[in-house]
Amino acid sequence: MDRGLRDRVEQALTSVIDPETGRDLVAMGLIYGIRTEGGLAEVEMTTTTRGCPLSEMLRLGAEAAVAGVPGVARAEVRLTWDPPWTPERMRPL
Amino acid sequence: MPGKQLSRWTIAWFASALAFLLASLTLAVAGYGGPADWAGGAALAVVHLFALGWLCQMMLGSLIQFAPVLAARPLARPGLALPALLFCALGTLMLAAGFLALDGWEPGRPLLSLAPLPLALAFGFALAMLAPVLAGRGAWRQSEARAVLAGLAGLAALWFSGAGMALALTGFGPGGLVSGGLPVHMVLGAGGWLTLAAMGVSYKLFAMFLLAPERDTRLRRAGFFAALAALALALAALIMAWLEQDTALPLALALATGALAGLCYLAEIFRLWRARRRPRPEVNMNFSRVSLVFLVATLVLLAPAALLGGPFAEAAVFLALAGWLSTLTLAQMIKITSFLTWIQVFSPLIGRQKVPMVQDLSDPRTVARWLWLWTAGAACATLALLAQTGPGFRLAAALMLVAALGLTREAWAIRRLRHLSPALRPALLPPVILPPHPTPVQGRSSLHDRPHPI
Repeated sequence: MDRGLRDRVEQALTSVIDPETGRDLVAMGLIYGIRTEGGLAEVEMTTTTRGCPLSEMLRLGAEAAVAGVPGVARAEVRLTWDPPWTPERMRPL
Repeated sequence: MPGKQLSRWTIAWFASALAFLLASLTLAVAGYGGPADWAGGAALAVVHLFALGWLCQMMLGSLIQFAPVLAARPLARPGLALPALLFCALGTLMLAAGFLALDGWEPGRPLLSLAPLPLALAFGFALAMLAPVLAGRGAWRQSEARAVLAGLAGLAALWFSGAGMALALTGFGPGGLVSGGLPVHMVLGAGGWLTLAAMGVSYKLFAMFLLAPERDTRLRRAGFFAALAALALALAALIMAWLEQDTALPLALALATGALAGLCYLAEIFRLWRARRRPRPEVNMNFSRVSLVFLVATLVLLAPAALLGGPFAEAAVFLALAGWLSTLTLAQMIKITSFLTWIQVFSPLIGRQKVPMVQDLSDPRTVARWLWLWTAGAACATLALLAQTGPGFRLAAALMLVAALGLTREAWAIRRLRHLSPALRPALLPPVILPPHPTPVQGRSSLHDRPHPI
């Protein structure tokens, strides 16, 4: 895995802000995994609650941010709620 | 509108409910209803404009939005949301006008007998939308969903008691319901329906807004079973009232178990608050705390209300409706309006450009000012009821009316993005009340690339 590309993808995800808390997806602990292979970037993310009305829009936003990273030819962001998010996943302020 | 789980009609439900709130408070300021004056037709009209038009519509509008959040499933039959709203508003108006028959306005009599019909349709449609979501696929096992489901059962019982009384008042129903059924009807409305539903929704919303861990606890289960027992006892009291039997014992037991459920709920919310990861809660949560103080005061008044009645009973019902439930509703209405507006306008831009935060859409100082005024008005009105001073009650109602007008203006400002800098406002905004046109979710909002009606 291209470590540099993975870091750039993670950096791009910090530009996607949770509009309720003002914190980014990474700081909120919503990103469960990032995998890069060639020009493909795959991200597994969650939302604070499974029924969150913003789920799909956050996924699309994350996908748009990742797609804009130089070196990424294709971005795929998948939602999962297993395991469910808990506030303990948040990075300290 | 982005988000397949979003209900399109919530803002319309809120707007209708606010109109009923302003109408009921205006009439209260004008002197309809007040200490020891709740039995007349005009006073009953004011009470139902407030309880049914304002609180019930706000609760149904909120549930249509949040049941899918609670159960993580889309709303069943979302096309019923608008007919339910229209029938609910129509039924409320017919009921309010119908009560004027008690003051001698004869055309009101058929309205009073027929008002339960549109309300049955409204509540039936609401149940058809909500119950499958909350009960299906094991969702009912969650503490939030099962509390709301129990609340919906309370709503059905409330309708039966209310319809029975409306028919009895017009000479078609069992006479025992009019006298013996009234306290049961009030307990079912304020407790069995509105408070139970508010408890269920707030478990979820408070955890989300406070960033607190969500989990089912023994306290939640104990509170739920106490609430179920209270609901069953209230139903028993209703049946006894129907049969013209003495309802004192089941009603007292319903109040006692209901108070126990309330205490469990308060302890659970206290636990949530302490476990929060959000150090500085926003204005909606700070005033939710104020509403909980009103709930405590309501529980304190239950015993004197049951034993002594009179001013204590009036104050307890008023505190439950205007203090606990309305303060919570007003505080969360501002937040939900901001959130839904944000989703309609800005969610398609996530990850593509800088977007404001949800709280940027409202002015917390303005909101806090109006909510403090509401709190002061509700507290003063309760004291006026205890002291049985009519002018004091009308003055307090005037404070509440000004606060409600201020919060309505703030909700309007949120819908028009008035608190955002012009640079952040799109040229075209979604309609203030009606839903925006459905748009594909793929990446862009129609608000940003094609005209929209205002």
